[in-house]
Amino acid sequence: MSKQKKPRKDNLADQSVYEDYKNAIPEEEIWTYRVEGLQAPHVNKSYKNARTKKIIVVIVLVVAISLSIFMSVRVVHNDTYKYEELGDGTFEFVKFSNPGGILELNVSYADDDTKKPISVIHEYAFNCDEQIQKISIGPRVKQIDGKSFYSCYALREIRVDPENEWYCDLDGVLYTKDLTQVVCYPIDHDAYLREKYGYAEQYWPTENWKKDGLDKYNDKYTEKYEREINTYVLPDTVKTVGMLAFNYSELFRVYLPEGLETLETMCFFRNWHLEKVFSYAGEKPAEQTGAVPTKDVKDSLPDSLKTIGSDCFNSAIEMDYMYIPANVTEIGHHAFWGAARKEDGGLIGLYEIYAALDEDAFKAQVKTGDQWTGEYDGKLFPKTVPVVYGKARGETNAQQSD
Amino acid sequence: MANGLKMKIGGFAKEVRTHWKTPPEGRYVPYKEYLDIFIGVGSNYAGSKTLEYIGFGAWCYLFMYHYKLPYLTFSIINIINMPLGYIWTLIWWYVCDNLGFLGKKTERRLYLLYFSLIAIGLTLIFAPVSLIFNQQGAFVTYMNSLEGISCASAFKILGTHILYNGWVGARNIFWRKKLLPKFGRYKYGLYCDFLPKCVMVVLIGWLPLYNISDVVTRVWTSNLLFACYNVFGFGNNLETCTQNISPDTKERILVRTYPIKMSHLAQSILAIILPAIIGALPGKWEDINIFRWVIPVTFITFSSLTMIFAGRIKERIPQPPLERKVKIGFWDGMFGVMGNKYRWIKNVVGLLDSLGNGMLGFTTILYLYTFRLSGLTYSLIVALVSFAGTPPDFFTPFFMKRFTYKQIMIFFQLSRAVGYSIVVATLLLFSDRLVLCGTVCVVMLFLMEVFKTVPVSVDHDMDVRINDYQMYLSGERLESFAGVFGWFTGPITSFIGLIIPLLLLKYGFNSNWDVLFVDASRVKIIVIPLIIDVIGYFLMTIPYFVWDYDDDKQNKVMAVLRRREEVTNAQAALEEAVGDETAAVPESVFESGGELDV
Repeated sequence: MSKQKKPRKDNLADQSVYEDYKNAIPEEEIWTYRVEGLQAPHVNKSYKNARTKKIIVVIVLVVAISLSIFMSVRVVHNDTYKYEELGDGTFEFVKFSNPGGILELNVSYADDDTKKPISVIHEYAFNCDEQIQKISIGPRVKQIDGKSFYSCYALREIRVDPENEWYCDLDGVLYTKDLTQVVCYPIDHDAYLREKYGYAEQYWPTENWKKDGLDKYNDKYTEKYEREINTYVLPDTVKTVGMLAFNYSELFRVYLPEGLETLETMCFFRNWHLEKVFSYAGEKPAEQTGAVPTKDVKDSLPDSLKTIGSDCFNSAIEMDYMYIPANVTEIGHHAFWGAARKEDGGLIGLYEIYAALDEDAFKAQVKTGDQWTGEYDGKLFPKTVPVVYGKARGETNAQQSD
Repeated sequence: MANGLKMKIGGFAKEVRTHWKTPPEGRYVPYKEYLDIFIGVGSNYAGSKTLEYIGFGAWCYLFMYHYKLPYLTFSIINIINMPLGYIWTLIWWYVCDNLGFLGKKTERRLYLLYFSLIAIGLTLIFAPVSLIFNQQGAFVTYMNSLEGISCASAFKILGTHILYNGWVGARNIFWRKKLLPKFGRYKYGLYCDFLPKCVMVVLIGWLPLYNISDVVTRVWTSNLLFACYNVFGFGNNLETCTQNISPDTKERILVRTYPIKMSHLAQSILAIILPAIIGALPGKWEDINIFRWVIPVTFITFSSLTMIFAGRIKERIPQPPLERKVKIGFWDGMFGVMGNKYRWIKNVVGLLDSLGNGMLGFTTILYLYTFRLSGLTYSLIVALVSFAGTPPDFFTPFFMKRFTYKQIMIFFQLSRAVGYSIVVATLLLFSDRLVLCGTVCVVMLFLMEVFKTVPVSVDHDMDVRINDYQMYLSGERLESFAGVFGWFTGPITSFIGLIIPLLLLKYGFNSNWDVLFVDASRVKIIVIPLIIDVIGYFLMTIPYFVWDYDDDKQNKVMAVLRRREEVTNAQAALEEAVGDETAAVPESVFESGGELDV
């Protein structure tokens, strides 16, 4: 016998033992033969007390299935309004689940009972509601979480009862009463402004407007439209832009006042159309005119700024200039993430970030979060957006090379 | 030493050459089939893994970025489909565990039922059935209030479910009966599903249903599209087939350890290339071209390769010839699986494992929202983690010999519990230091992947052994009837499935995944379900303490099965030779239960 044909030892040993075992099973017992330590086979034999067993199985299954369905139905059942009593005679507005068709909502009293005033609006209370357009805040509400109105894509205005001591609204935008913090600029506020200024349709500038025969969409119209609808000037009193305050807005330009100290987490998150951030000094022009400040207007963030929150300008891909002023001491992680990319062979967005301080001073003074400058596509791996240190405001590398 | 190694390699090469087409003595699989398994299973696995990008659920990028359906809508659709689903499932089990070979009368009845379902389904989809109800009444008002659903669309969704079940039910009988005798019980599905699946994969990306502005219409049309897509399967059939490639348990492990493990290389490479390609697309994960080009081209390539090699891989379950197969009555099936102690053990483990049900994919969140990976970096880290399990797998036979299945599985659950506890602690302590947090998590994932490999092989082998044992007990494997355990555990899993989505909703997760960029919310969304999972892992060690099905018992069970095969084959041959219809085997074994006796 050749060496190659010799079967493996362990297999052979097993095989011979179990082959003998197999051969020892009598032919007439193949369907009943019982292996030691295991149950005997039960092939197409009737079961003892089969009827009772069947009834038990059916009952157990019916109960189990009914419970399953009940539990599952519970998952999708939501009360339209959910409140929690706070113990001081007031209530927290915890969750609103739009049953469909509710476009306006007044958050003043639980169950519309004036004896049950609402004082707190919980985080994510209106999460992802795609229908609600107007929310009115009652007189006793004193605490609103910045995440309360998250992803309310149809929300146009938030109105606050004039008697409220803690909050107010400026033309549908939510502020703290002392106007030091902007809390929420509704995502679809531009729809409200279009209605207010008499624009029948949403207009997006296109290079082909002349060719398309859209004569009225000339440069003057566009400039006016963008100023009235896509531009926002924060009051000169504002010191903080709250968490998620301007997320998903359709703004093109934002004017931040000198005196502003904090841009909280994700406050301009996913502002895909945001082209410019300006800082201005002096008083904010009157609201209704749609006018913009003209005095001491500077490109980029105000000098008074100290904190830039995480993901603050995430996805602001239309911006082309960002200047970190000298007073900044903290920049959160991914503050400028997704704000630069390669397109048509070149780079667009914030592919360079300019800082007032020189490198050593910057590193000594500013506490930065992970990957705060963002990245853009490299050949194989992404490249980190570089910081250009020690620059005066408005001075760019492009100008130097010119 | 070098000489010894050289001789060993030379000897092995010679053995391979000698037994290229015929297996060595005591073995069942020739070496050529190892090569076929390597290419065939590799392609099948890569193809089926590619399809994991497509699915009707919030986790699918197609829904995440394009359809944008409300999170709860998926649960509502499940509930609409649930009650009738139980009935279809019962019939499905009966057909499957009889391998499609039913009594003539039963077959006719079932065809009639399935074609009626198709007609009813189409009527519900295309006729305005909801108009028969009072449009101002409570029922219509309630249905209209459900997220992403209206009364009219609910009937269309129900119609889709009925149509789907009629269609797959009729196909199940027809194709099983036609193809199973030729291709075996695990591979036949590939032959009838390959072409239509390719067409559906293409349609998924190219039908622009996600552009429909009305969310209600978007919901029911996408549900219909995905129901049609799901009619045709493309699972990892060849690997399932190879789990039963030999009656010899050692040879099974050998096949699983070497050719199958190496065949997964194709998928590992694909796991690097695909995300890199996706990362190069302008819209990255949000780019629709993933579903128009990347997925279809990849799937069609690998599924075509699968079909070339499928015929060369053989299924070798010791079983009687089909004409003498044991017919399984409905209650035989039900009582059969319930009498299998080891199925109870595995199902209790599965029940405890469901403690994490409803949580979002931890790795998806880690890679996309903590680390914010894309392109090649993403591919490399995913590949690194998934590759971690490959080297230890080559030592699987050693671990299986050295330790009992009980020891291995208890170690596995404890390693997962400890691993995820460290992940939870890291997430809680360093929630805003994303790189540090992500790094610790990836390291833990890597280690857990290393520790997971052997237990996963053991777990698979436990399932195969349970099926062998079931075949010894009942004369059939009853893999479908085993689903009844899910019905017993349903209330508990539904209850658990209720808690986590509600918690996620509370922490801000709905249809907009961007909430995962909010540090505090992301941590809660990951951590709370993980803690529940960790508790589950600790509890899962308990059932394994009563596992006593060892190698000796398995070998004896296989001996019984082989003896049955031997005897029935001899009887069949004898019958054929003498034309004797009254062979020695009791008639009841094969004939009773041939008709549906519910």
